[in-house]
Parts: sequence; structure tokens; C-alpha cells
Amino acid sequence: METIIAVEGIRKYYKVAKRDRGMRAAIGQLFNRKYEVKKAVDDISFMIGRGEIVGFIGPNGAGKSTTIKMLSGILYPDAGSVEIDGFVPYKQRKQYVKNIGVVFGQKSQLNWDLPLIESFELMKFIYKIPQEQYEENLKLFSELLDMEPFLRQPVRQLSLGQRMRGDIVAALLHSPELVFLDEPTIGLDVVAKEKIREFIRYMNKTRKTTIIFTTHDMQDIEKVCDRLIIIDKGKKIYDGSIDEIKNKYTNFKTIEILLENGGKETETFDIRVTPMNSVLQKLFAEKHIKDISICEPEIDGIIRDIYEGRLLLDSPAMEGTGV
Amino acid sequence: MGELRIAAQSLKMSVRSRMQYRVDALVATIAVFVRESANIIVIYLALLKFDVINGWNVNELLFLFSILFLTYAIVVSLFADLRDFSRMIREGRFDRLLVRPRGLLFQLILNNADVIASLGHGLLGILLFVLSAGRVGIQWNLVTILYYTGAIIGGVLIQGGIFIFFSALSFYFVETGSIRSIFYWNMRKFAGYPISIYNRLIQTILIYVVPFAFVNYFPAQYLLRKPDMANYNEAYIYIAPFVGVGVYLAAYLFWRVSVRRYYSTGN
Repeated sequence: METIIAVEGIRKYYKVAKRDRGMRAAIGQLFNRKYEVKKAVDDISFMIGRGEIVGFIGPNGAGKSTTIKMLSGILYPDAGSVEIDGFVPYKQRKQYVKNIGVVFGQKSQLNWDLPLIESFELMKFIYKIPQEQYEENLKLFSELLDMEPFLRQPVRQLSLGQRMRGDIVAALLHSPELVFLDEPTIGLDVVAKEKIREFIRYMNKTRKTTIIFTTHDMQDIEKVCDRLIIIDKGKKIYDGSIDEIKNKYTNFKTIEILLENGGKETETFDIRVTPMNSVLQKLFAEKHIKDISICEPEIDGIIRDIYEGRLLLDSPAMEGTGV
Repeated sequence: MGELRIAAQSLKMSVRSRMQYRVDALVATIAVFVRESANIIVIYLALLKFDVINGWNVNELLFLFSILFLTYAIVVSLFADLRDFSRMIREGRFDRLLVRPRGLLFQLILNNADVIASLGHGLLGILLFVLSAGRVGIQWNLVTILYYTGAIIGGVLIQGGIFIFFSALSFYFVETGSIRSIFYWNMRKFAGYPISIYNRLIQTILIYVVPFAFVNYFPAQYLLRKPDMANYNEAYIYIAPFVGVGVYLAAYLFWRVSVRRYYSTGN
């Protein structure tokens, strides 16, 4: 696969003013500020191939948005390098951004008081989209996203789901080869989320658009992405397929038991350490069991465990496979 | 060509989005008009008593004011986003401009034109001009019309340049509202009167620091030739239309240097 994004050891540190409590401290800080260095992104590297869909996940404040900003040319890294499609984003901004689309789920770029179509028209001029291509894309996208009914309504009257679809279309009208979606499903209901997922998959399949996607919703990842990159505390802690991470953790089983006296217990264990046989024998010997179920780990649960530090991604098998 | 279409679309969107709320737009325009007129009425009443201020009669003062209003009407259509730039930075909306394949200043200019302020100031400016221009003894001919047009453009560029300068400061300090209100809004108030009535310090600021004197005082002097011009270098009258170009270019260069900070600091 041809590489489209090559990221090598990027870092981004912020200076955060340290504020102590109290009046005296507040006055003191006017003259002599102390700074704390926050490592938002701390030595992250990866490669992404043309046509991939990659999900970026990580807890709040992990460095996802900062990474996306460095990739889209908004910030430049303090160290390391980014090369995308032959460009250094933050150095060749105007040339580079012609071929990318960016959706910030939390910040709309649509004009609040006007129908969607007006904001789309502006995009047509800004990106110099040929009329034919513009009409073709607009028609296709509004069909795929069911936008016909509300194309001519002022944006302020739209639901969040409708507004988000509008934002996605605005970012894709110029047929970019690479698209960054920063939390495009945030706050949406299941139906709206599913529409957007289908659309993203469609764009990837039919147009070979490379898609980088951040989210907190594991369903998004499972249904849309081929590959998953997990970032935590500014570092990449996982890079590989979703199946791989699931396979790895199928070794972890959770047993839920319902006791005859009505009590409930759960237990999680690693079958490589304690085989199922011995666990069950011990349980049956010690307890009066009414019902028992053995659960496969859910991706949600795995990720939660990773964030909370209960699962460590340190074995060699877990190293990123990359491209 | 493409740039013109973006500009036209942006302007169309600004006007339309204000016109979504027709009654509000109308009331707001009237409010701006009345607020600004109130200042003028006070001056008018004062002048009925004093007759002249430093040799300027009431019509000449109204003419001086009209330039201020006319230029500001154009400034707020063109540079409204730069006037409100620190808010844009705080809300993170500037990131959006960075991911579009166009110049940053170009995207800011004409965007979100303040249609209401433009109408309010513009109507008052036209009214004052109509009331005064025929009564102050200006010979309107090709040369004076050309000079006047040049002076208006220059005045727009000076104020636009000042907005760009303060916007660029937002890359260093998140909030710049108070510096701006001292240096822009207060100086603009001073510029309503012939600058010769002020002490040295304020005159110096109005000529050399925040050059409002070149927006209306010196251009009006070219047309009116009041005796207080003897205090200043005659050349100021002739360079007035060009000062705008200089201020604008200097502000632009400062912006170019400052915007780089944004890339490295982020929000």
C-alpha cells in the first residue's frame, strides 16, 4: 500500500501557567509566573496508507486533537516530522489543504442563520470546485445522508444530527483525498450515528478516500475502521487491527454467577494463567451455583480497562503492525 | 476572479443572515443611528452658543465628522471579523481558516460584515455630508473629488490597518480589548474635533501613533484651509491619502510575523 501519511516522533509541549490559590499568589503571579510543561503529544510515530480508515481513540486530554491539528497543518510540532502526500502540512499550508477535508465535530463551520446550501456555495468558491463536480457531489451526498428535506432550512433550526451531516458535506464537497473527522458522532443519536458511519464507509470504498477519525464511541470504531490507534498521555499505546486487539483479549474471560441464595458474583481471569477447567472446578466446589454465564470481552470493556491501566499493552505481540 | 466571487458570497451571506431577523435589524440600525446622532446634536447645540471652535464653524465640524462616519461604515463592512478577532481566537474558530486553501487575511476581510453598524454609520455620514458639503465653500471639481475619494480610501486603510494590528496582538495576548479601547475608540472620539484643540501629547498620538488625524483632519484641511493648519507641516495634507497605504502595509507585515506564533502555541 502506498503511504500517504508519515509521522515521525512528533512532540507538542504546552506551557501551562501554574496558578496557586489565594490572593497573594494571584498578585505574585502577575509579576512572576511559573509554568508547568504539559506533554500533549510525546513522541508519536505512525504511517498510514492511501485508502485506509484509521480510528484514533484515547481518553479526554490524551493528545488526539493535538495530533489531528498537527496533521491538518494548524499546529507545528516542537519536534519530529510530518509528511503527507509530499507536503509538510504546517509549512505548505495553502497547497496542502486543497486536498484535505476537516470536520471538527464540536465546531461547526456552517452559517447559523442561513440554509446549508449557502455555506456549501461558499465552499464551492473557496475550493474552486467546478460547477459540475459541485452539483454531482451535492446530489450524491444529500441522497446518501438524506439531506434533501432540510437543505433549505436555516441551520439554527436543524437538529444536531442534521447539522453534523451538513458539516461533513461542507468538508467533503471538494472531493478531498484525505479526511480528518474529529469526533463527528459526538452527541448524536443511534440513527444519525449510523447514517454517518455508512457515509464514511461509502466514501472510503467508492472513492478510496483516506479517513482519520477520532471518537469516543467504540461502535464507530468497530463498524467503520480497519485499524485502531490508541493514544494515552501523549503516547501511542496501541496500533493495529481491531480483530487483533480482540483476539488478544479473548484470553480474558469474565464469569458471572448467580448463587442459590440470590447473590451475584463476577470474576475476570486470564485463561493462560488459570485455565477455565480449574476455575470452574473451584467455583463448583466452593459455591452453590444456580446459574452461570461466561462472557467474551467487549471492545468497550477492553478499551476501558486499557485506559484505566488494568490491561497493559506491552507484550511484543501487541506492537503496532503499521503499514 | 475567484476572489471576487468569494467576497460577493461572503457579503451576501452577511447581509442575508442579518436580514433573517428583519425587525431586529431595523431597530438595531436605528439605534446605531440615534446613538451616533446624539453626539452630533450635542456638538450642534454647543456650537449654537460658541459659534466656532478654533476657527471651525458648525458646518465645517459636521463635514469633519462625516468623513469619520463614512470611513467607519466601510471599515465595518470589510474588517468586522478583525475588529472582533480576539473572540474568534478564544472560541477556536481561527483553526477553520487555517484548513482552507486561501489567505488568512483574505478570509477574514468581508466575512461577517457588520451590516447594521455599516448602515447606521453610513446613513449618518451621508446625511452629514449632504448637510455640510454645500455650505463650507468647497469647490467641487475633478481634483477635489479625486482627493476626497483618495482620502476616504486612505481613511479606511488606516482604520483597517489598526484593526489588523490589534488582531495580530491577539497572537501574543489572548485578550486585547482594553488596549484597543484606549488606542482605537478613544482616539476616534478625539478625531471628531479639530486636533488643534488638544494638548501636545494627544496631537502627537493622533498624528504619529494612531494616525486618525490623517483620516479626517488633514483631508478636511485640504478642502477647507482653516487657519489652525499653520501649526502643522503643510505636507501632511498631501500625504494624507497615502498614509493609509503605509499603515496598512506595516500592519500586514506585523500580522505576517505574528501569525506564525499561532502555529506554535495553538489554543
